[in-house]
Amino acid sequence: MERRLWDALTSLKLTIVCLVLLMVLVVACTLAQVDRGTFGAVHTYIRSILVWHRFPGTSTAIPVFPGGALVGLVLTANLVAAQWKRLERSRRKLGIWLAHAGLVLLFAGEFVTGLVQVDMQMSIEQGQTRDFVESPREMELVLVDVTDPGRDDVHSIPESLLAQGGLVEVPGTPVVLDVKLFFRNAELAVRGPDDPEPLANRGLGATVAVNPLPPVAKDDQVDSRAAFVEPIAGGRKYGVWLVSNALGEPQNFIHEGRTYALSMRPLREHLPYAITLKKFSHDVYPGTDIPKNFSSLVHLANPSRGEERDVLIFMNQPLRYAGKTFYQASFGKDDTLSVLQVVKNPGWLLPYLSCALVAAGLFVHFAISLGRALRKRTLPAEAR
Amino acid sequence: MSATRFAAAGAALLALAGVASAAVRPGKLRGFDIDAFGHLPVLDGGRVKPIDSLARNSLLVIRGRQGLVFEGRSVSADEWLLEVVFRHEVADRQPIFVIDDPDVLGLVGLGQTAERHFSFQVLAPHLEEIQRQAHSARAIDGKLRTRFQAAIAILFDRLVLYWKLRNTVQLAGQGTLEAEIQARNEPEAVQRQESLAQLAAFRPVPPPEGGDQWLSVGEALRAARGAPPDPALTPLTRLASAWDAQDAAGFNRAVADLRSAIGARQREALGRADSECFFNRVQPFYAGMVIYLLALLTLFASWLWKRELLQSAAFGLLGAGVLVHTAGLVARILLQGRPPVTNLYSSAVFVGWCAVVLGIVLERMYRRGFVTAIAAAVGFASLIIAHHLSADGDTMEMMRAVLDSNFWLATHVVTITIGYGGTFLAGALAIGYTLRKQLAPRIDPAATRTLVSMTYGILCFALFFSFVGTVLGGIWADQSWGRFWGWDPKENGALLIVLWNALILHARWGGYVRERGIMTMAIFGNVVTSLSWFGVNMLGIGLHSYGFIESAFWALAAFIASQLLLMGLCTLPRRFWKGAAAAEVAAQAAATQP
Repeated sequence: MERRLWDALTSLKLTIVCLVLLMVLVVACTLAQVDRGTFGAVHTYIRSILVWHRFPGTSTAIPVFPGGALVGLVLTANLVAAQWKRLERSRRKLGIWLAHAGLVLLFAGEFVTGLVQVDMQMSIEQGQTRDFVESPREMELVLVDVTDPGRDDVHSIPESLLAQGGLVEVPGTPVVLDVKLFFRNAELAVRGPDDPEPLANRGLGATVAVNPLPPVAKDDQVDSRAAFVEPIAGGRKYGVWLVSNALGEPQNFIHEGRTYALSMRPLREHLPYAITLKKFSHDVYPGTDIPKNFSSLVHLANPSRGEERDVLIFMNQPLRYAGKTFYQASFGKDDTLSVLQVVKNPGWLLPYLSCALVAAGLFVHFAISLGRALRKRTLPAEAR
Repeated sequence: MSATRFAAAGAALLALAGVASAAVRPGKLRGFDIDAFGHLPVLDGGRVKPIDSLARNSLLVIRGRQGLVFEGRSVSADEWLLEVVFRHEVADRQPIFVIDDPDVLGLVGLGQTAERHFSFQVLAPHLEEIQRQAHSARAIDGKLRTRFQAAIAILFDRLVLYWKLRNTVQLAGQGTLEAEIQARNEPEAVQRQESLAQLAAFRPVPPPEGGDQWLSVGEALRAARGAPPDPALTPLTRLASAWDAQDAAGFNRAVADLRSAIGARQREALGRADSECFFNRVQPFYAGMVIYLLALLTLFASWLWKRELLQSAAFGLLGAGVLVHTAGLVARILLQGRPPVTNLYSSAVFVGWCAVVLGIVLERMYRRGFVTAIAAAVGFASLIIAHHLSADGDTMEMMRAVLDSNFWLATHVVTITIGYGGTFLAGALAIGYTLRKQLAPRIDPAATRTLVSMTYGILCFALFFSFVGTVLGGIWADQSWGRFWGWDPKENGALLIVLWNALILHARWGGYVRERGIMTMAIFGNVVTSLSWFGVNMLGIGLHSYGFIESAFWALAAFIASQLLLMGLCTLPRRFWKGAAAAEVAAQAAATQP
């Protein structure tokens, strides 16, 4: 049994089956992008162990196909095992060894990326300074003590806690939030006369109707989170508030002389350094609207390292700093706002290495084969 | 032996002489030096180009060809542009707008007759209705438009281009440029200057030395309010009135003066414009296409008559074709200052070039003759595809911001395109193998073995380049968008080519497929590559979707159907093959014995 399993794992047939499955998955993922957007399609077909088929109108789903992650893992295992078992360790096979090592590294890189890459954004207007980055998808509920005008005391509650519902203590404050309802995505509209009585009785929420929606699929859309929460402090209830990233301004309540602001906003990560946008430039070719270049001249200040310098970020030229990479991604507000994509991916170097290895490996292998073929071709000619 | 060499050299020289004859400057037309007018540089689409390129591309967009026949005489693009810009009453009568759609014909009150070309004069009474219909068609996503909506939107775009050209130097029917300069300070001139600036299709007024802001006539007039007009406007004025009065001597002098006025400020632009005009005249890719076709026909003839002689002549022609093709590529690289592949059009040119060069190397290595046919066929096919892709206008357009990187264009794009070329050549070799088996009366088994080993070698080559090109693309994406691999459709397409080539090679190494299997799979490589190359653009999503072409969809579908048919032919059992001589079957059996 063990023997047969080992044989199966090291067989070239398994390689071919995996390659075919991978091709099918890639085609399916490509076609699915038309309806579901890249993020959704990749999630379903590539970064999954199994591909599920959900019967329309029900919640039952059955696995119908192995997912990309599973096929990738099997292919990697097959590659390593087969290489170990079958391939002679000789100079003649050096190319194949190198190429396959590079491939393993490439798969590893994709897994590392899938697991650890964090994509954030920094929207920054000319003259502004930012010391945080924001998530393009995840949100957080923040309770900010704004009593002292010179200093904000920020307390963040992650989305996962809101989704659980119930009482959520806010550490560092006397406040406990009673999360009554949470929607992953909802449409907010001005309440009409026919809408049911709102759950919220304080703030903007009292005038707003909330209709739950399924999560969005397209890449350029963001879910509007909505939650009904009641702050409780010192045994007093401060009414039910609606919080949502679609609402805009924070809403305040006062407890024992301290003012607290409640708001739902993109999840933030604070940086130990600050970036100031000095100038955003949007160059076009003369006499046209064809963009020639987008660039952001920023000032980077890191007091802990005593660093103060200007950096020009432009297309194909990101800033790599302290484990994060800042790319020119978008712009707005009449070319005064620049949006930087901020990526943290500790595995970013792996594809570079793997490319070099595979290229070298294939080159060596095919050069050896070509040499052999040419020798074979000339030998009979000499014999003639 | 020397006769065959002579045939090869003779055929090549004849073909090159034919190309050279196209390079000769055309003479004057009724005394007008129209060619010199075509050499004048202007700014259009963000790039300084000769009027000749502007005229050819505009006419190509409007009419689908770079020339027209009017009143029994063929009219060059340059002459057509002169009429549009300076004598619109003549241009308005020239039948340049192609209308095929019966509903559009009905809309403009024209029945379906043999005539499909209509003049602006015929369409003018219906402009408002065309505009109204085109606007409602525009509101609909390009892929969802009906045939009528697509046709009316295209017709409207062409009319807009024509309208802009007609109102670039002087507002049609509202006085000459000379009168406009005279009246530049009058209050009612403001509106006209504004119109001229907005409608300008190109910018003819050169900036001072070192600058890059060419001005439209409207902008130059606006700048001249309360000041002397730009001196470059004077020869342009004389040019306008000389053409209007059909005064050849005055026209030629005005062209020469305008040329020296531009040269005084933008000397480099003159030289570049001259080179580009030369390139336009020679049309190296069109010439290459014709030579490849001749090579292919000569080779077909060789199977019937004078085998050795004609085969050499065909190889000579193939060599001449690749010389012209290479010269064209080099000229494009120099003119544009960019690596060879910058858009879909140039990728087609380059794919063909790679395949032909590889084919020539194979032919020199194995000297079997049939690779000449395959290489010529691939070269011809790719250049004809490029020819159709060029109908969108300027093929040397400026690169959008993220693509504006010569380093990555030269590495990722060129490498991946070589991978495409290799995969197509392998597919073409496999098609050659199939057709030979089906059609040839007798087959030399040694030649078959050669064909199989060539296909294998080319597949290895294609795997190498498509893999390296794909990963380099990932690295470029990591540099510019912050992710190595985003499963974008174009990336997936490239990955599919890599996976498919790897699959063929592993299936062969495992012994799961032999001769016919490898060949069938190699033909399917054509399907995978064509889908990755053109198909993903039709999905209209992702960062790479830069060119959706509707009619191309059916061409692609037909191509894929033909490939599937060929795969079917290739997998037919041996007894159905015409050329399955008993001896060959025996030889095959012997060869496959362990």
